[in-house]
Amino acid sequence: MSDNKKKILEMLAQGKISADDAYRLLSALEGGEGRREATGRTETAVKGKAKYLRVTVLPDPEKEQSGNYDRVNIRVPMSLVRAGIKLTSLIPSEARDKVNLALHEKGIDFDARNMKPEEIEELIGALGDLEVDVETKTGEKVKVYVE
Amino acid sequence: MKRPPMLMHMRVQGEKSGFGLWLPLFLLLPLALVVFIILSPLILVAAIVLWPSGWGKRALLSLRAAVEIFWSMRGLSVDIHSGRQRVSISVV
Repeated sequence: MSDNKKKILEMLAQGKISADDAYRLLSALEGGEGRREATGRTETAVKGKAKYLRVTVLPDPEKEQSGNYDRVNIRVPMSLVRAGIKLTSLIPSEARDKVNLALHEKGIDFDARNMKPEEIEELIGALGDLEVDVETKTGEKVKVYVE
Repeated sequence: MKRPPMLMHMRVQGEKSGFGLWLPLFLLLPLALVVFIILSPLILVAAIVLWPSGWGKRALLSLRAAVEIFWSMRGLSVDIHSGRQRVSISVV
């Protein structure tokens, strides 16, 4: 069974896509008629690996016209994110203990020491579903997503 | 195989003036390689001396991580506007 087919079946099992979507995607994979009917989002999830982590801050349109606004547009390659996560294994144990303690105080029980390479890949893969969309009181729109 | 970044473009725009800078990273790569070859005996000795304390291995791994990070920078883009000021960095 190909990786793509496995992915589709996993998405179906996790309830991310409906049985109809899964059928259409499987048909599309096999070059069947379902190719055109597959939705853009699920197609992207199956087709492509996430390439970039995007962070954007868009100003309120009224402020934009006045010229006094902040705008942020950041694109980070996922390979750089991956390399950054791998760097955690190089943090000295004394510093790591402090980080773990600080995280524990915030209610996050996470120890980077226990992360295996395959788990890093899984984490990067899971980032593909990440989408943060926040609108502030001042009208700014903050978006974090993966493309 | 991943390709290394070739150019870095930096642009800083102030209220009255600004400047742009193209950094040819592809020219820095051979230079970095030469420096690494020259320094490699020293790096090796330092790694051997520091090995028992655990820092030698960490230093070598850090070197590898630094190369990996540099190699992964292709596609990085940061663009920040604040009022009439703008800072933009992109790696291609």
